Amino acid sequence: MTTAAPAGDLRTGSVADAQLLVKARDVTKRFGGLVACNKIDFDIPRGAIVSLIGPNGAGKTTFFNMITGYYTPTAGAIVFDGHEVVQHRGKRVKSLKPHEVTSLGIGRTFQNIRLFGTMSALDNVLVGLHVHLRSHWWDAVFRTPGMLNEEAGARERGMELLSLVGLDDRAETWARNLPYGDQRRLEIARALATNPKLLLLDEPTAGMNNAETRAMTDFIRRLRADLNLSVLLIEHDMRVVMGISDRVTVLDYGEVIAEGAPDEVRKNPRVVEAYLGRGAADA
Amino acid sequence: MTADARYVIRASDPVRSGPAGWLDQVTAAARRAPVAYREQLARRRRRTIAITILALLFVLYPLINTLLLQPLVRSGVPLPVPDDTVATFMLIFAAMAIGLNIVAGFAGLLDLGYVAFYALGAYTAAFFASPHFASLSLVLFSEVAPGYPGIHVPFFVIVPLAALIAATFGVLLGAPTLRLRGDYLAIVTLGFGEIVPVVFKNLVGINFQLGPIKLENANLTGGAVGINPIDPPSFFGIDFGATSGQAAVYLAMVIVALSVIIARNLERSRMGRAWMAIREDELAAEMMGVNTVRTKLLAFGLGASFAGVAGSLQASYLGATTSDFFQFSTSILVLIMIILGGIGNIWGVMAGALALVYVDKTFLPWIAQRVQAINSDLPNAAQFNFLIFGIILVIMMRFRPEGFIPSRQRAAELRHAPPGQQIGSAATLGEDAVKSEETSQAIAAEQAAEPDA
Repeated sequence: MTTAAPAGDLRTGSVADAQLLVKARDVTKRFGGLVACNKIDFDIPRGAIVSLIGPNGAGKTTFFNMITGYYTPTAGAIVFDGHEVVQHRGKRVKSLKPHEVTSLGIGRTFQNIRLFGTMSALDNVLVGLHVHLRSHWWDAVFRTPGMLNEEAGARERGMELLSLVGLDDRAETWARNLPYGDQRRLEIARALATNPKLLLLDEPTAGMNNAETRAMTDFIRRLRADLNLSVLLIEHDMRVVMGISDRVTVLDYGEVIAEGAPDEVRKNPRVVEAYLGRGAADA
Repeated sequence: MTADARYVIRASDPVRSGPAGWLDQVTAAARRAPVAYREQLARRRRRTIAITILALLFVLYPLINTLLLQPLVRSGVPLPVPDDTVATFMLIFAAMAIGLNIVAGFAGLLDLGYVAFYALGAYTAAFFASPHFASLSLVLFSEVAPGYPGIHVPFFVIVPLAALIAATFGVLLGAPTLRLRGDYLAIVTLGFGEIVPVVFKNLVGINFQLGPIKLENANLTGGAVGINPIDPPSFFGIDFGATSGQAAVYLAMVIVALSVIIARNLERSRMGRAWMAIREDELAAEMMGVNTVRTKLLAFGLGASFAGVAGSLQASYLGATTSDFFQFSTSILVLIMIILGGIGNIWGVMAGALALVYVDKTFLPWIAQRVQAINSDLPNAAQFNFLIFGIILVIMMRFRPEGFIPSRQRAAELRHAPPGQQIGSAATLGEDAVKSEETSQAIAAEQAAEPDA
């Protein structure tokens, strides 16, 4: 596999910005007295699969939510594809709204599947396409030819995405009636519908058996290759993380304790202590 | 476990509206699977027949009513037949229920002050088609006698105007409040529903000066008396007002039919999907790129416009309006209609509205009359209408919480029945239920283990 991650220390920003899809600097998030993320520097090179790991409560999902605009950081800067997700106006920190971030090109899945349960699989994907549809409510009222064309096109695209994840024969089934693995794949199809440059996957293999996990790992690799995506992964399964990632960043208590290629990170004593060590002790 | 894919209409099937689209889809399905074709055809035929019967009933009802039912009633046969006024009001409330269903049913926003928009529509008609502002004589294409004082605008202009004004206020109310969730939104709308009629009741004796505009002891809304007479709806010299009997029923039918078409078109569009996504999971919808504030505002504004139209029809029909018509109980009544009828389903909420107004205005008085004929000391059923609605509501919630004609979503939520299956034997449906149960357990277990942000 040709890795897109360039050599050099990413954290110091030595890589030219044009090669970075996401560039986060000094990102801090406080909830009252709790510091969930503390001065995190984080980069995602274009075309890379990057993993964020760490024990529960390390601040991974909080960081995820800041990239997508759901949380506004207390301090710090996040740039996505040349756009400032977090802006500073004097002392005020302002974040783009989640739907604005989505239209810039970030699609995500959720740790706990959050599909629209009583909508069909196809309709779920069509909600993901919402950002790229232009018809207005008056077009809908009068069913204008433009709107009908757009809808037909959207449904076709939706079916393509469903076949991509192997769910095209389930298009009319309600999301909540799909088996667990299918729901995970439908969530990815929905995220892909937003036409992302960056796909954020929050524990995509949670609750899967070995075979399903392998299939998911292959699928993520294929997505990167076929769709020219960058992927940010939060994952607990170390085999997945080590097998698929170009770069791994380890968080503990809201701070980056290690960053680098999977092999480097695996050997890092702080990581072993904070993460793997504790896991071994528990076991 | 699911229906064979060939049985289902596919996205790639041609999308055309109306009978042409129906034919396209059925033919496309037939080409794929001859067996499925028959099942699909049967299902669609059943639905088409149901809709046709309903439409025929609607159109023919006024005729049946005058030619058959009313003579029977007059000749002494005891039948609870609604007269033309009740029929008109049944339809006015049907239009309102269809509008509230957009807000509460599709987008899942609880609006307890829906009557405010009804009032705004009614006063729009009162302001723009009555001799109330006698000093501002302005007759625009209206069919009133020349020289009649006041502003007079024809009904076909009043309707869009009322829709626009109600929608504007819907957006104005929604803009600051739709960031609130659930209970908070309900309380704010409740307040709005109370404020609007009170404002209409009290905008009298106004002294105000701003540049060239000068009001001295101005009577803007007629106070407690309200405004009358309001011009009846009329097109090409035909009167559709209260004295016109059946003509008014037909006019109301046209408005309800248009409401149904508009609401259905909205439901099956990008906006409809966004509303449902917000109802299902607002956070996920936002993360998928739905501008939730704007989408909810749209639901609020469009929903309000239906009430505006209904209000303008009511005021024009009655020829008078007063703030007493617009009480909290009306908001609640419309809400009961859509809950009983089947929230989320356009046909359901319409049925709920028709049934409830009928019971309220015809059936209960009819019962009361019969009971009191026996002994005038017995209670008057018509005075206990809200008690009776309450009891009906409780019984419905116990035995059929999803309403008369439920939406598939509601039925699934409240019944834990295997939803979403269009065609399938009982056996496959059972299997599906088990799987979905397992899935939800798996998800629940996961959620318990790791609470997400």
